[in-house]
Amino acid sequence: MRNLIAFLERFKIFIYFIFLQVIALSFYFSYISYPRGQFLTSTWAISGTFLNFQNDFIKFFHLEENNVVLQQENIRLRKNQLSNYVKISSELVQKNDTIYKQHYDFIPGKVINSTITRRNNYFTLNIGSSQGVRVGMGVFSDNGVVGIIYMTSRYFSLVKSVLSENSNLDVEIQPTGIHGYLKWGGTNPQRGSVIGISTDIKLKKNSLVYTRGGSGIFPKGIPIGRVEKLLPIEGKPIWDVVIKFSQDYRSIQNVYVIKNLMQEEQKKLEANIPAENKK
Amino acid sequence: METVIMPILRFLGVFMLQVFVFNALEPGFGIHIMIYPLFIALLPFNNNVFSMLTISFFLGFIIDIFSNTFGLHSSAALAMAIARPPIYNNFSPRDGYDNLKLPTILRMGFRWHLVTFGPLLLIHHLWFFALESFRLDELFFTLKKTFLSAFITFIVCMILQYIFFKKEKSR
Repeated sequence: MRNLIAFLERFKIFIYFIFLQVIALSFYFSYISYPRGQFLTSTWAISGTFLNFQNDFIKFFHLEENNVVLQQENIRLRKNQLSNYVKISSELVQKNDTIYKQHYDFIPGKVINSTITRRNNYFTLNIGSSQGVRVGMGVFSDNGVVGIIYMTSRYFSLVKSVLSENSNLDVEIQPTGIHGYLKWGGTNPQRGSVIGISTDIKLKKNSLVYTRGGSGIFPKGIPIGRVEKLLPIEGKPIWDVVIKFSQDYRSIQNVYVIKNLMQEEQKKLEANIPAENKK
Repeated sequence: METVIMPILRFLGVFMLQVFVFNALEPGFGIHIMIYPLFIALLPFNNNVFSMLTISFFLGFIIDIFSNTFGLHSSAALAMAIARPPIYNNFSPRDGYDNLKLPTILRMGFRWHLVTFGPLLLIHHLWFFALESFRLDELFFTLKKTFLSAFITFIVCMILQYIFFKKEKSR
């Protein structure tokens, strides 16, 4: 017993160190694998409020460029309006015989905190579950895909961006429509790579990369970037396609959260796939 | 009065600078500037190791909350705090440290900072980046990030000390 006390006496500092270290590391590893609460993140109401306050200062520096981006988007949308088109021949009559149903809804939000130098980068948005944001929804900006909602609190939410280890979005490369998975190497926030495309497929430089819309998180055709170069992977017959992101994540401001109104239907249908085919 | 208020102000200052300024800076090459180790290095010499560990943990913890790192900063700050006493004892001047004074660069000099604060920063950064990537095949990249970040952080910390501490009058 005396030996034990002597031992504890001698190593008490180290034991205290281990004790605190275990607390910190258990937080870290449990959050990395599965988001459990909002205690230690910037979606916490106190830190969210502080970051919102900081954003109120900073947003004025970006007003100019944000206006330009919004104007460009307006022009793009205006071009698609029916009033913008002229009837070429008077004999042809256009008949509206298709009934449309809304598939996606969009919630506008602002990025109030972000990192890009980490291995897994998270962005904090100033919208939360009270605005209808749910875990697993897709997030994009005018220029490209941003990420997927990872955690929400009442007025804030956390996005796991495409600049993280296991983003694995399914993408397609136009014009051939070949699809692969998006990965991020962890070094350069301007470049990512697409994995899973066989080497017998010819790809051109500068071909555009879009979302495929397979999992129902993103609609088809949200831009991601351009193909920059093709690198062979040693020992595998697939390309490592290096792409340059069309969105500069270092200066991201305005984003939209995608609400898929038919997600339930798609999930219900895909649940019928027999279990052995799933992998 | 001064011994109570000043550390709290320094704590808040380091925290605000880290969260609102240096977290938003992205110099590229994977560099991440972390200045809060400076606060741990500048705690008084005679500080109890227990209180030092607790303070470091707390500082790392609130920085974690604001930068979505889930405990990485607290862990790295602890690693630095436990390494501080042996390193400081190793490089103590012949007649020991003056316990009442802060170990700023103006008192202790650049050389002393290079041999004590430098290794402490390296330990802190290596711990942080190694845990962050947590895989061996990115070892080279992790080391590159560690050394580059530690180098830049060291320079920034030296500049901050020259800005925020007054030179003492020579007797």
